[in-house]
Amino acid sequence: MGEGRKIWRCARCDRELVAKKTIFTYMGLTLAHEVEACPGCGKVFVSREMAEGKMAETEQQLEDK
Amino acid sequence: MKPEDARQHTDRCFRGEPATCSFACPFRMDIRSFLDRVARGRWPAAYRVLRDAVIFPVVVSALCDQPCRSACQRTLLGDEALEIRELEVACLRNVKERKPERYVIPPKKERVAVVGAGPSGLSCALALAQKRFGVTVLEREKGWGGRLLEHPRFTEFDEDIGLQFSALEVEFRFGTVVSDLAQLSEFDAVYIATGAGGNAFGLEASWDDQLYSTEQPRVFLGGELCGSSVMEALAAGREASLSIEVFLQTGKAAATFGRFPREYRGHILPHEGVPPAPAVRPADPSGYSGEEARAEAARCMQCDCNICMEACEMLRLFRKDPHKIAVEVYTDTHVNAPFSSHTITRQVYSCNVCGYCGGVCPVGVDIGPLMQLSRRVRLSAGVHPAALHDFWLREMDFAVSEGAFSSPPAGQEACAYAFYPGCQLGASNPGHVLRSWDFLAARHDAGVMLGCCGAPAYWAGDEERLRANIEGIRRTWAGMGRPVLVCACATCRTVLAGFLPEIRTVSLYELLADAEEVRPVRRWPEAAVFDPCAARGGDRMEAAVRALVSRSGTVCVEPGEKNRCCGHGGHIYLANPGLYGEIVQNRTEADPRPYVVYCANCREVFASQGKECAHILDLAFDLPARDPVPGLDEKRANILAVKKELMKKMTGADFEPEAREWDALTLVIDEALRRNLDRKLISGNDIKEAIWRAESAGDKFLDPETGASLCSMVKEVITYWVEYRGSGAGAYEILDAYSHRMRFGREE
Ligand SMILES: [Zn+2]
Repeated sequence: MGEGRKIWRCARCDRELVAKKTIFTYMGLTLAHEVEACPGCGKVFVSREMAEGKMAETEQQLEDK
Repeated sequence: MKPEDARQHTDRCFRGEPATCSFACPFRMDIRSFLDRVARGRWPAAYRVLRDAVIFPVVVSALCDQPCRSACQRTLLGDEALEIRELEVACLRNVKERKPERYVIPPKKERVAVVGAGPSGLSCALALAQKRFGVTVLEREKGWGGRLLEHPRFTEFDEDIGLQFSALEVEFRFGTVVSDLAQLSEFDAVYIATGAGGNAFGLEASWDDQLYSTEQPRVFLGGELCGSSVMEALAAGREASLSIEVFLQTGKAAATFGRFPREYRGHILPHEGVPPAPAVRPADPSGYSGEEARAEAARCMQCDCNICMEACEMLRLFRKDPHKIAVEVYTDTHVNAPFSSHTITRQVYSCNVCGYCGGVCPVGVDIGPLMQLSRRVRLSAGVHPAALHDFWLREMDFAVSEGAFSSPPAGQEACAYAFYPGCQLGASNPGHVLRSWDFLAARHDAGVMLGCCGAPAYWAGDEERLRANIEGIRRTWAGMGRPVLVCACATCRTVLAGFLPEIRTVSLYELLADAEEVRPVRRWPEAAVFDPCAARGGDRMEAAVRALVSRSGTVCVEPGEKNRCCGHGGHIYLANPGLYGEIVQNRTEADPRPYVVYCANCREVFASQGKECAHILDLAFDLPARDPVPGLDEKRANILAVKKELMKKMTGADFEPEAREWDALTLVIDEALRRNLDRKLISGNDIKEAIWRAESAGDKFLDPETGASLCSMVKEVITYWVEYRGSGAGAYEILDAYSHRMRFGREE
């Protein structure tokens, strides 16, 4: 899969990503979580580890609610 | 939604009902519970079950003629019935504390006279005193016991009776003869239990044997006076007490004895695979030791139906019986109530809706429709987990739009037959559709209807999408002159039968079997037929497939269990991957021989496990083995290829699929990664679209070090991420892709 650890930059703003509290919604519920995002345009970055790990776990919990 | 909307699906389920032995017991004792507690050596708990049921346990354990034993289902296996009375004796011997409980409820003002201190009078008096009615027992003899007095063990009985009354306030007037009911005018109710041949005060003719009532509203009769045995008289005393209680509360005697009529005998269960268990004999002739009693009680099979919960992996996993499922389906879908629990969501979406439970259930209770009810109600309320069915709904949309094509045979306006292959057959193997159509065109002058029956919408609980699709099928079918639809997929047939009963269907396999010129090839010396779940009840279709297999010279072996779902049904793959895997494995390993299947989904499931299998059409048309499981993109391409070829044949037109901007992109993708993404249900089409959008808008992340890009595409239900690298003009090397169901805001 993806090779090595990448340092992502926003292609549009050409800026490094910073930690940012971001709102996530699922199954009618809203959660706030700190993730990396572009400080310029706010574009949010979700890694595979997060999508298939913590997020998938939370998704399942919310589906079961 | 009302509770009965859910409950009506499980009303007939008799799980939790008393066992046959309890229905035979005059006291309706919960013999299962008693034996379970004895088997576990829980003597005080066993004693409470016994005493609460039989009132005077010493008397009953000495005198009961055990009608329960003739209803014991052990005897159906050739074993002796459980030694209930001996176990009752052992229980009395082993329990240390037998003092009755005190009833800490306030006394009631109503007073009841009981005439006669025999078994029936005593049990009635005891039951009413436990409810704190004022009870007076009038007895012409010098003490209680009635007919029990004659028994050689009366001293023990006397002690037992004394013990049971020791915690209660009851007035006994011995040596008192009642010759006229007018003597009892101070009482609110009277129970006459004067024994065999006793005084009935002229009320026997008006006696109601269910309610124990008479023409005199406050007077009740029962026991040996009415022809009962001693055991029945004991039981009748307490039953009469319930009737008297209702009378005292409402002024009218009415039935309260549960929901079972007296004639009801309970259900006999199959007890398949239960080993025999000979009765335990006590080493000491005086009775069982504690250990012996436990061993004997352990022979009880705890007769209660759990057939569906044993047979179905899903029901086994969640361990809820049908009644509980119905209750939870109601509370779960009751979204606005404070009691909404959503405890059953995962289970609802884990059901294959295959009907197997209904097939094994002695009374035909099918859980699938209940789960479907829940899915529909949740979707229409907007509280469904859309991500669990999104993929298949999108594939359905593709099949009924870009993939759809219908036409009568070339040059005709209408046709008597039209081939309805379903969405999966061509997607899985174009040859299956094309060769079948050649056959049908030559032999039945058939047209064709390519599309999807709507099963994905049905399984998603998406009624609106299902109805719209059904209407589309109806219009197309009517426009083709209402042909008989020749179905290759049993699920299509089931859906059409359910929602379009005006359409006549026939199975493709029946037409193939009827055609002598069809000579299926012999691929193996013997093979097991794996009937799809949706073929349940389709006897002619099943027979046709067997005829074709036999015609090939292959010995056709019957599967151990018929019409089990391969795992695909209900689209549970995302809802419960672990359960899906277990089901797939169980079906794959059910028979060591190669499988002959006649459902495209079954074939893919087994082929993906490396199981030797063939679709009956592979054998019928001697089709070469292909890539066992086409990828997601290949399936869509197959659907379009079939459409293109049939359109050319039937209309002469050249079908050009609608081109999208991202179609021109070329993906370079490692085969292992592609298979992995297929498993995650991320298609090359989605990846292309995501890259195209990101590149067009410059909206992506970059890693200057490696030259890699990362983009996301937010779709209605799923958000996709693709990591890639440019690899020449319009070509992209895919490094990774993943998805999630949550939506994110840009920032707080
Ligand atoms: Zn930016």
